[in-house]
Amino acid sequence: MADFADQPYTGLGPRIAARDLVPSPGHAWSVWLRNARVFSKLWKGALLPQFLDPLFYLVALGFGLGTYVAKVNGIPYRDFIAPGLIASATMWSASFECTYNVYLRMNETRLYDAVLATPVEVQDIVAGDLLWSAARATVYGTVFLTIVAAFGLISSPWAILIPPLVFVGGLCFSVIGYTFTSLIPKIDLYSYFFTLGVTPMFLFSGIFFPFNQLPGWVEAVAWLMPLYHLVEITRGMANGPDGLQVLLHTAWLVAVSAALFTIPVRALRAKLVP
Amino acid sequence: MIGERGQGPAVLARGLEKSYGDRVAVDRIDFEVRPGVCFGFLGPNGAGKTTTMKMIYGLAGIGGGELRVLGMDAVRERRRIKARLGVVPQETNLDGELTVRENLMVHARYFGLDPAAVERRIEELLDFTILRDRAAESIWALSGGMKRRLLVARALVNNPELIVLDEPTTGLDPQARLAVWRALERLRARGVTLLLTTHYMEEAARLCDRLLIMDHGRIVAEGEPGALVRKHVGREVLELKLGEGCDADALLASLDGRLDGYELTEDALMLYADDAEDILRVLDHERFPTDSALVRGATLEDVFLRLTGRSLDE
Repeated sequence: MADFADQPYTGLGPRIAARDLVPSPGHAWSVWLRNARVFSKLWKGALLPQFLDPLFYLVALGFGLGTYVAKVNGIPYRDFIAPGLIASATMWSASFECTYNVYLRMNETRLYDAVLATPVEVQDIVAGDLLWSAARATVYGTVFLTIVAAFGLISSPWAILIPPLVFVGGLCFSVIGYTFTSLIPKIDLYSYFFTLGVTPMFLFSGIFFPFNQLPGWVEAVAWLMPLYHLVEITRGMANGPDGLQVLLHTAWLVAVSAALFTIPVRALRAKLVP
Repeated sequence: MIGERGQGPAVLARGLEKSYGDRVAVDRIDFEVRPGVCFGFLGPNGAGKTTTMKMIYGLAGIGGGELRVLGMDAVRERRRIKARLGVVPQETNLDGELTVRENLMVHARYFGLDPAAVERRIEELLDFTILRDRAAESIWALSGGMKRRLLVARALVNNPELIVLDEPTTGLDPQARLAVWRALERLRARGVTLLLTTHYMEEAARLCDRLLIMDHGRIVAEGEPGALVRKHVGREVLELKLGEGCDADALLASLDGRLDGYELTEDALMLYADDAEDILRVLDHERFPTDSALVRGATLEDVFLRLTGRSLDE
């Protein structure tokens, strides 16, 4: 990887006026469209392997290891992990988009400086990027849902609602990644984000083993992780829904997304419009 | 394309200031840019030019004082101001993941312009900046001069009334610089207000109707280029390379009353006067040996160096 200059640390920045927090839908949409255009040019090439990533886990663990594992909660192991991998595909996509991709646009190519010289404002960039990242994550989640369905691992027609729910989860992962990106002064710090945040979440959010036979505190810790909630949602919908549970988990994801939104808006304004 | 001509200034600054931490970048400046002119900001690096431009186009917050752009308040009406501005930034910040034409289309959309509606305009801009042959190419394939021209084209997609250019030709070879100048001259002829910063006196003299020289965050001079030269330097310059043992102070004393001013550097002495030939004639060459003497017309360069100092103080 090329050398990247450290950025001055500007932190959260001062409080800002309400008019600088509320995005304009039209201008956020223009940012969304720009990202979608770039993705449409790249996906067939550089991004294709990412679609296969969860498939390898499904084959190795579901069909490989799963052969030696008794049923989990009454269902075969591969049926157990498949919906969770839809959730993790979403998480990986959103996390990459809102970390490295946003960082490069913001600090290296200085694209946002050009965008901010138009009527687009900081909050429009953040909203457009987040909605794009969530949409992109939905594409990844939905592609994998189709693969899983083709393997016959989906038992409920309610799975048709997985894409919109995955969008909500993708949005939450995006806001978290974006918040981190907006606050860090150097690109190297993503190793902390991925090694200490995303990877453990992938392993310990209930994709690969259920919590119901572990001590209660394990699930309490998992409850703090957004991936846990999305896994519960996708598994719930793939195996027949428990409406209230799905609603609660969705509410958690929406609440965290909404609560964090102002942080990257403020931090980016402090960074880009000093 | 013509703005609100004769309806108040395109830019009006009153007591405008900006600090970054303890460093004062812009120190309570006042200026006014009339619509339809090409207005140049000169000054050494760190003088506050770029910060002033950024406050105008919304990439730096207003530290204090008042700034009105196209009659609107730069703090409260940022979006509306930016909708009517074109910006050519100092650093090239084109969208490297898009082609030349896509850069213009996507940029038009940031202004809320419908791509179908601006299609013709984009083709015109590609012609205007001589980039049509490159329209489908990636940004990476362009030379420095082409990138600059694309930045100019991009600044025009919204048909702006005021264009802010921050060092539009820095780092370009003479041909590329000429191409940018021609584009700017055509814009000025159409009545667009141009606001530019530059290090190049030749550029300022050629393009600008009015100039403002900044140093250390303050305005040190303002006026028409010719008037600035006459006021601060005079008509002509006698440039002397002093010989061994030549006493500069004594030389200046001997010419007392004949000079409009002087500037002494390490190895040269510039004498400003209305008739430099005359000075050369009356100079006591026996007493004050010189290695070379050159009589030339005074230029903006002399004004600039005189007002902002010859030494590099960065």
